[in-house]
Amino acid sequence: MSKRTTRSLMMVAALASASVTSANAQDPRVLPRLDAPSRAAIAAVVDSAKAQGIPVEPLYDKVNEGVVKGADGPHIVVAVRNLALDLATAHRALGALATADEIKAAASAMHAGVPAVELGKLKKQSGLRRSLTLPFTVLADIVSRGVPVSTAANAIRSLVGAGAKDKDINDFQRNVKVDIEQGAPPAAAAETRAKGAAKPDKPDQIDQ
Amino acid sequence: MPEWGRTTLEMIVQDLQRPVQLDESFERRVMVRVRRFYAQRRRRMRGWLAVGASITHHPAWTAAVAAGIVAVATLGVMSVHPRTASGGVIEPTTFVLVAPTARSVAVVGDFNNWGLDDSALVATSNQGVWSVTASVPVGVHRYAFVVNGVNGKQWMADPTAPRSSGDDFGMPSSALVVEDSTK
Repeated sequence: MSKRTTRSLMMVAALASASVTSANAQDPRVLPRLDAPSRAAIAAVVDSAKAQGIPVEPLYDKVNEGVVKGADGPHIVVAVRNLALDLATAHRALGALATADEIKAAASAMHAGVPAVELGKLKKQSGLRRSLTLPFTVLADIVSRGVPVSTAANAIRSLVGAGAKDKDINDFQRNVKVDIEQGAPPAAAAETRAKGAAKPDKPDQIDQ
Repeated sequence: MPEWGRTTLEMIVQDLQRPVQLDESFERRVMVRVRRFYAQRRRRMRGWLAVGASITHHPAWTAAVAAGIVAVATLGVMSVHPRTASGGVIEPTTFVLVAPTARSVAVVGDFNNWGLDDSALVATSNQGVWSVTASVPVGVHRYAFVVNGVNGKQWMADPTAPRSSGDDFGMPSSALVVEDSTK
């Protein structure tokens, strides 16, 4: 066998190996645990997400979560489709500068009821200067605790606009949670705590 | 780094750290080289090219530079932050739950496939304060505690963490944002 033939055979073997790896990359851990129609439906959602440039890891995580929690295939498919829609909407709202984590956190905030347009405004305000992963996460949390969406969005916007660090935003979330648990009206708790936390740090670094 | 790689690297570093035996004329020869180097640099204004030529001509210089490069590279490799297989930074993260009546507590989340295939993080108890520390990739995650108590196994959100809004399957979970401590 000539050297050229050997090299060609090795290249074919490598390509075949790569294609097998790619096929398995769909997630061999999870998909075999689902029935065939659900597997096909999820593969289609994942392919569509990939084509749109949406992070697909959260979709696989959702499948894992459903499997562990004992949900049936169709229920998991619905959850994955809804998440893919939220991720796609978040991706469009935040724009090309958003990171995968920001998109994931924004999708979570949308799931809690925050309109995509509010998230887009926040991203436009902060640009590349700070990650909005934590602010979006806290926004989702306080909305789920009963703070009205507009009040919650204003509070987070004022914190981010004042240059609050992640630690300040964590403290804000903790304080609002404790206030609500102690009986404060959620809107009043968020408004008051935002005023207390929004101390301008480096105002010249923030777009107003 | 694999063990064989570490051993080989250590051997190379040890070898390069051994004192170099220099003859008595070493200092004089070095100074001649240095003076010649600066003279050439002034004349030709080709400093960078001249550095390369001088170094490669002298074994002692070559050994010293090589040792420096290896030392810097070794320090760099050894101080690298832990990373996932895909290159993401991971950070040690401690999960704590107060559950005095629990028989066992585990942590499941998207960072460990929600405990699939026995990947749940098993917490240890200190008089009912359960905790476990794990390496979690930087980013935003969802997780929950699985508490085995008097009423059997129960999923619980972390009462100290932000709620996660994506409870599609009827069991609560919490949100976790792991920050990159190297930034």
